Amino acid sequence: MNIFWREIKAYRKSTIIWVLVLSAITIVFLLLYPGFTKDVEATRKMLSGIPAAYRNALGLSLDNFFTIFGFLGYLFTFVLLAGAAQAMSLGTGIISKEDSGKTSDFLLSKPVTRTKVLTSKLSAALVLLAATNIFFSLASYGVARVVSTANFSAKTFFLISATLFLVQLFFWALGALFAVIIPKIKSVISVTLPTVFAFFIVSTIGAFIGNDNVRLVTPFKFYDYQYIIAHNTYEWKYVIIEAVCIAVAIVASFIIYLKKDVRAAS
Amino acid sequence: MNVILRELKAHWKGILFWSLGMIALIGSGMAKYDAYQSTGQSINQLMAQFPKSVQIILGISGFDLTTAAGFYGLLFIYIAIMAAIHATLIGSDMIAKEERDKTSEFLFSKPISRAKAITGKLLAGFVILVIFNLVTTLSSIYMVQYFNKGASANHDILLLMAGLAFLQLIFFSVGAAVAGINKHQKSSASIATSVLLLTFILYFVINLNDKLDFLKYLSPFKYFEAHAIITNGLDPFYMVLSLIITVVLIASTYFTYSRRDLSV
Amino acid sequence: MNIIETKKLTKYYGKARGIIDVDMTVEEGEIYGFIGPNGAGKSTTIRTLLGLMKPTGGSATIFGKDITKYGPQIKQEIGYLPSEVFYYDGMKAIDLLKYSASFYQKDKKFTEKRIQELSGILDLDLSKKIDDLSYGNKKKVGIVQGLLHQPKLIILDEPTGGLDPLIQQKFFNLLKEENEKGATILFSSHILSEVQKMCDKVAIIKEGKIIKTEKISDLLENQTKRFRIETAMKADKKDFAIKGVDDLSITDNSVTFLFRGHLNDIMREIAKLDLANISIEEPDLEEIFLHYYQK
Repeated sequence: MNIFWREIKAYRKSTIIWVLVLSAITIVFLLLYPGFTKDVEATRKMLSGIPAAYRNALGLSLDNFFTIFGFLGYLFTFVLLAGAAQAMSLGTGIISKEDSGKTSDFLLSKPVTRTKVLTSKLSAALVLLAATNIFFSLASYGVARVVSTANFSAKTFFLISATLFLVQLFFWALGALFAVIIPKIKSVISVTLPTVFAFFIVSTIGAFIGNDNVRLVTPFKFYDYQYIIAHNTYEWKYVIIEAVCIAVAIVASFIIYLKKDVRAAS
Repeated sequence: MNVILRELKAHWKGILFWSLGMIALIGSGMAKYDAYQSTGQSINQLMAQFPKSVQIILGISGFDLTTAAGFYGLLFIYIAIMAAIHATLIGSDMIAKEERDKTSEFLFSKPISRAKAITGKLLAGFVILVIFNLVTTLSSIYMVQYFNKGASANHDILLLMAGLAFLQLIFFSVGAAVAGINKHQKSSASIATSVLLLTFILYFVINLNDKLDFLKYLSPFKYFEAHAIITNGLDPFYMVLSLIITVVLIASTYFTYSRRDLSV
Repeated sequence: MNIIETKKLTKYYGKARGIIDVDMTVEEGEIYGFIGPNGAGKSTTIRTLLGLMKPTGGSATIFGKDITKYGPQIKQEIGYLPSEVFYYDGMKAIDLLKYSASFYQKDKKFTEKRIQELSGILDLDLSKKIDDLSYGNKKKVGIVQGLLHQPKLIILDEPTGGLDPLIQQKFFNLLKEENEKGATILFSSHILSEVQKMCDKVAIIKEGKIIKTEKISDLLENQTKRFRIETAMKADKKDFAIKGVDDLSITDNSVTFLFRGHLNDIMREIAKLDLANISIEEPDLEEIFLHYYQK
């Protein structure tokens, strides 16, 4: 447990900052929600003139689009983006820092197995992400309650806000994998940020022409908000896809990390 | 000169990686246009009737998506954010790396002033930005032409790439200035990219509400918006503003980095 | 009991040589010197023993247990001090040491007492942040973290760099004390005098292979010295044709050579000459390798 607590302590501050950042993004967007609803009537009228087949192709649902949840679905694009950056940087950094800080010698000459080192580190990262999500969800729930006028289902809200955690899990695992694969990571962010944005762009460009295949390759689209709002549940197919991706990444990370040579510092 | 060459050598892998990434981004983006074309014009016309807020949420505001150039304009913000990430990382890395990798003792025990070292590093960074811009420009022209069936879009693309160059300069100098002032170099890249992320998200926030228009000066992505550039060309005011920001930040990099104690 | 025993231990980095067929036996209670020039494979051997790297061939046991299978168990009883120490940013010396202690099964009170004792002896300020410590003081942190759990085996990889002579002496005394209490020590170095001072036995490694293992007492009997002599008249090569003389060069009136063997033998020969001046020096390690261990 000592490594676990050490890491929790080391990342405490940055986790607090991330909670603040994520909450700030959500709050700023939510405060704009009332202004956003003024176009409702015009749009509804116009949308109802469109054949249903087209509407579906665009992923527009008449009922949901202007609700607070529909809006949450939009602002979560940015929450997920920032959250992914946090998760991947954490997953990569918590492992690679021993290498870049040249402290591997210290840590690995102690009586611990590498399995235990990696398990402690990854679970510390996981707990930090979970904590981030708990505080973030509560903060944004409060604000959403305030700005929303009607139809507020707590279940739907938390289903939506939990997608942050689910997407973060993916990037946490990917980050771990990158940390053990890429030799000598000097700057964590220059590895993680381009990766996260590459996924983000693929998902966004894929989305505006309603291409379903893109959902299979980017975690940002594993959880469709229209579907969550309509059915109050996740699409389990994508949950399973994600679970498989994570399992593969984590198992591979362990295999590689256990075999890795720790070369002399400098 | 030796510093410039050293930095270019140290970054060539990164340059290669980013170049391939940009080519892939533009290529796959324009391939989407091809797929989009085949869905027919009616959706496009329909979309044009949406209120602005809906268009923003769908990410389609202000573009004629039936043309390759219009579709390319839609991609521009993503090209811009990648360019900005790249420029920020290069800017902060150039200045931060000596302290971060504990090579500052080596470099500054040589007969070289800090100002001269920074000049070498910034020039190397500038060369890398130019390469990035050239790769992006050439692959944009090629990809758009490849899928384009109507009039040439080269003029629009060149204008957009000029706008991109200004964005690169701004964020490059943001990265350099942060690393110039920051004493704990491990966090420089994170701080600089946080600034970048903030301005990027601010861009979408401003779009969402007209009343927030006054915040546009805080987000360089607002200075060089694709649809404005395509319709009206580059705005001289924003070009000057960008240069002022760049010059101020670069000057502050020299100022702070030359004066402070370097960590070993 | 043999504390360390390696059998044909081999490590390649891809195609590059690390160590080849290293056979080494360190017995309980020994201070075992491990000496060789830079890049010879000292660190590779040590890092492989510690499980930081996996051997590509051969095997090794510590406390009779296979290093690849029982790594963590073995390391309960090992203290390690690398040649360059790096610790975590933002931690105070005491935090790092407590963190270090938390890995061992030893009683907390015991390790805390040891931390205080050891840092007292070495004159180390525990309340300072490690980032702010000088290189030598970081090294002291390294020493304390290596000894605080009173390990049965102490592994030192070129440990004296950055320590001033006074602290070096205190450090050697500490090691001797631990040794008297029963600790076995593996001491890697490229400084011959250091090893001669500390060790009972020494293994000499070159280009990845152990080329000789000797007792220090034998080594002292067969001391290698560099002689520089100035004679009144030009000396003749024949004057030095005795066993143990190497690298002989005679120019005008000065003669230099390396000698290995009983000093009496060579002194008798030199005494026959008409001497103007004489100096007898410790040759550096490179010279010894060059002339005695090359073949």
